Amino acid sequence: MDPSQGILEIKDIYKDFSGLEVLTGVTFSVKNGERHAVIGPNGAGKTTLFNIISGKYKPSTGAIIFKGRDVSKKQPHVLNQRGMSRSFQITNLFQELTVLENVRAGVRCRQGLRYSFFKRPEHNRVVAEKTEQILELVGLADVMHEPVSALSYGRQRALEIGITLSTEPELILLDEPTAGMTREETAEAIRMIDRVTRGKTLVIIEHDMDVVFSLADRISVLHYGAILASGAPQEIRNDQRVKDAYLGEEE
Amino acid sequence: MKGLNTRVYLWGVLLVVLLIVVPLLFPRYQIALMTEVIIFSLFAVSYNLLLGYAGLLSFGHAMFFGTGAYAVAVILNHFQGIPILLAILAATLVTVVVGFLVGSLLLRHKGAYFALLTLAFNALFFAVATKWYSMTGGDDGLSVWRPDLNIGVTILNMTNVKVFYFFTLIIVGLVILFCWYFTTTAMGKTILLMRENEERMKFLGYNTNISRLILFTFTGALAGCAGAFYALFFQFTSISAISIDMTTTVLLMTFIGGTGSFGGPILGALVFTYLQDFLSDITDRWPIIMGIIFVVMVLYVPGGLSGLIASIRERFGTGNVTGTLETEGDD
Repeated sequence: MDPSQGILEIKDIYKDFSGLEVLTGVTFSVKNGERHAVIGPNGAGKTTLFNIISGKYKPSTGAIIFKGRDVSKKQPHVLNQRGMSRSFQITNLFQELTVLENVRAGVRCRQGLRYSFFKRPEHNRVVAEKTEQILELVGLADVMHEPVSALSYGRQRALEIGITLSTEPELILLDEPTAGMTREETAEAIRMIDRVTRGKTLVIIEHDMDVVFSLADRISVLHYGAILASGAPQEIRNDQRVKDAYLGEEE
Repeated sequence: MKGLNTRVYLWGVLLVVLLIVVPLLFPRYQIALMTEVIIFSLFAVSYNLLLGYAGLLSFGHAMFFGTGAYAVAVILNHFQGIPILLAILAATLVTVVVGFLVGSLLLRHKGAYFALLTLAFNALFFAVATKWYSMTGGDDGLSVWRPDLNIGVTILNMTNVKVFYFFTLIIVGLVILFCWYFTTTAMGKTILLMRENEERMKFLGYNTNISRLILFTFTGALAGCAGAFYALFFQFTSISAISIDMTTTVLLMTFIGGTGSFGGPILGALVFTYLQDFLSDITDRWPIIMGIIFVVMVLYVPGGLSGLIASIRERFGTGNVTGTLETEGDD
């Protein structure tokens, strides 16, 4: 792959739901190793954009280029196998299972242990080691045998990120990882996200401006279904259109 | 954890000893009834892999059971001299093909649509079995003749009740053991995770439609294998094997035993078979009594007998739940 080219190129994406236009021509690109934040007010289409990138929805027109190939018609599981993994704004876990089993589900998939009638994932050493690494990384090793439903909300959010990382993605998509957290939980979550995504390619949707400016190398502002501006944090901070449309409200 | 395993093994050994010793002491009739229990155990276990493990309610499991029963009859009647094991294997392979074809049409559906489509397919299979006289014998059914089994050192006479019992115990027993092993494999865990959260599985890289198709085909093949044994057991195949009644039977066995554990449906098959045998001896109106028992079970014991046993143990604190192999249990 040409290193100067983006790992992810969003090209003129339109999306309408039976007439309701949610995205009206979104274009931006994410370079390898970059941490890219997508911000915008409620209803700007951020989660719809994520659903299109990750294959949940198909764009009405436009293309998603991932690692140089058009993937806009691919299924979520294919995109995951090609190296893209996403988290969910509303916690989306295996509630009845243990923390360990949750993370192992992703790890073993990456190791090719998906549909075997003979191999047992619990007896695989590589799977066990990698699962433990991820649990350590997101700080859940102490509760690995607890069922998810027994975890606090903050720790469930950490597990959400842990599962997202469990398939060893080249591109990590985080959809509002701090949604619904208290201020303390948010601060801790940001430190953790910073730690686990350092040197990796990340696209993050976020409301909290502190999170965005402390984490992102680049920021794209989504406004009424289109990109209003895209650039380094300092440029976005000083961009008059962004100020008018979005940041201005908070100053 | 060690203590738990030891106890499970002890119970397992005890069960195997019972299954080997008891038939030698009992009359022919009881041995035949035990054979039937073993065959229905496999049918119910296969059904529970769909219902309990994958959360898929099917009203069409008899189409595979019946296909297996008819397939083994047709194969034995058309190919003289075919070994019995080969005939069973061939009948099972026929249901693999049938399961794959039906499954490919169903794989995108879940819940009520899935249930209704399986019901419709079962009705279609039943209609074909009734009308395709030249192949199935229609209402008259087909007689099946059990070929002898040549095991090298000697030739076993399959028409002997005890010999057929042990043949069924070993072959069907091994298949059920494999089903148990299957629940711990990657695929077994995948269907469990899909029941919990299918969307997340997609975003973790699992092709959930293919997984459902594989599972549907696999459970169909198991039911087909059970059906083949059923035909050999009665030495006869009739449309009852492929009827909605047969679907209801396996559903009730599974439900009575409990869908929450691997062993539940086996217990269900045992209780159902003996209850039916006992009640039909004392009254002609036995289906009414069976019906009332099932209504009470469904209303008041939704976890089935295995769930009931587990909760009694928990209440009286006889330690951890050992006998039941929890569907969710992992380590």
